[in-house]
Amino acid sequence: MADLAQPLAARTPWRALAWGTAGLVAIMVGAIAIWTGIPGLQNFLLVFNSLMIEAAPFVLLGALVSAAIEVFVPATAFERLTRLPEPLQLPASGLAGLAFPVCECGSVPVARRLAAKGLSPAAAVTFMLAAPILNPIVLVSTVVAYRGRDVMVPMVAGRAVLGLVAAMAVGWVIGGRAPGSILKPRPEDEHHHGEEGTRSARFFGHLAGDFSFMARFLVLGAAVAAAMQTFVPQSVLGAIANTPIVNLAAMMGLAFVLSLCSESDAFVAASFVQFGPASQLAFLVFGPMVDTKLGFLYAATFTRGFFRTVVVIVAAVTLVGTLWLEVLLG
Amino acid sequence: MSWSPMRLLTSAVLTAWAVLFWFLILGGRTSLYLSARTDWIVPVGAILMTIAAIGRLLTSRTAHAEPFGARDAVRTAVVAIPIVAVLALPPTSLGTYAASRRSTFVSGGIAADPASIATGRLDLADVAGALRSNEGAKALADRAGTEVTFVGFVARERGMPADQFQLTRFLISCCVADALSVQVRVVGATPGELEKDEWVRVRGSIYPLGREIVLDAREIDKVDRPKRPYLNT
Repeated sequence: MADLAQPLAARTPWRALAWGTAGLVAIMVGAIAIWTGIPGLQNFLLVFNSLMIEAAPFVLLGALVSAAIEVFVPATAFERLTRLPEPLQLPASGLAGLAFPVCECGSVPVARRLAAKGLSPAAAVTFMLAAPILNPIVLVSTVVAYRGRDVMVPMVAGRAVLGLVAAMAVGWVIGGRAPGSILKPRPEDEHHHGEEGTRSARFFGHLAGDFSFMARFLVLGAAVAAAMQTFVPQSVLGAIANTPIVNLAAMMGLAFVLSLCSESDAFVAASFVQFGPASQLAFLVFGPMVDTKLGFLYAATFTRGFFRTVVVIVAAVTLVGTLWLEVLLG
Repeated sequence: MSWSPMRLLTSAVLTAWAVLFWFLILGGRTSLYLSARTDWIVPVGAILMTIAAIGRLLTSRTAHAEPFGARDAVRTAVVAIPIVAVLALPPTSLGTYAASRRSTFVSGGIAADPASIATGRLDLADVAGALRSNEGAKALADRAGTEVTFVGFVARERGMPADQFQLTRFLISCCVADALSVQVRVVGATPGELEKDEWVRVRGSIYPLGREIVLDAREIDKVDRPKRPYLNT
């Protein structure tokens, strides 16, 4: 194997260099187009860059926690959690989000690592989905966004409760599946499992592997989200704001497209006054669990059926919960 | 022990990310992408990326050759695309194109505090946000004719008289992706003098007219784009 790898390693950097150069040339051509003043393209890059600049450190932070769990935490550490009575495991995993101020980008690698280290996949997924909603920064930003409005308490409480319920529902459906049935194998893992040397070498190996794996799907997701933000006017939604159920689905669709960080989405949700509080809540619950950039991250991390399960269950719980709120608030 | 090309490439990408974050800090470009509330992310990112890059570089030697193909190289290089995009984009901020497609702070957003509108200096977000509540609108109506100074860029709607424009500014909570526009209609501008997206400082008196706020301009000066082009919540 080493004999085969050596000539390949010696040969391929030149091909990589050629690919890289071609990519750079294409981007430079794009940059020239920007300088000639194409506002749509400039707008796209501003949104794309800002999403990446904001999210990349969180992805690295998630990779750092994930690598630390892999290298420094013994597998037996999670046995205690799995010894909890089953009905308590999912709520405990969801509520653990209160203590972890991680956004949705950072929670994916952490959950993956937790499942790989022996925590039940159901508990790891419940944590992954609940943490971006239940973390204290998100709850405070929701309070700030709705401060001074009558619906502030229902919005904050509704977001936390519905988020937790939706996360637990997904965990419950996943049930006792083995990690291998929901986690996709990754070529990076094979590289790093074979990585010899000190703990620090293994730590940086996993850190770099997790970051470059997650970041490239974040690039795709941010590009799609930026394109939608740039080329689809937000005003097109105004026409359906007063149609029951459709208004809820529309705001969920918008959350999917915009791919906002859960720490800022409350301010945007609050701006859609043509939609009622229930529709805004649908935006706030659905978005942190299912959006464009997360779709790419989930697709890369989990098996094909997983994303479908998350979308169906989170959408169903969000729709039912927000319909109740619509009825209660009139 | 020999150098692993894959590990070196990953280290190079992490180094490029670290350089990007240091570039944003040293070039003063953070405010073009993030709000004052979230700009701490950039120095944290710079430090973390630097540590990760150095750590990966120091652990890049291996006793056995590791497989490394063009596919690995391309996959890793994709992560560097945003770096080139940031470095290639000239320092710019959202303009009229975005204003025509995004929600406005006036049509939604966060209600301004009526008490702060009733007294003291009025700023653009106060004035626009006042229309979100009856109390805010009333407090602003009581201050009709008040002298204000606002900075924003020029946006024009189709059919607008030549001596008018929308003084526009974006308000962000976390990053540019959540921007909402704030607009005030300026009257009394010299026709043909101002181009769209040009930054101006307007001094004049404000007059709330229904759901719109008119700024009767006494003085309009062209200015450079502010260091922080976006207002923050």
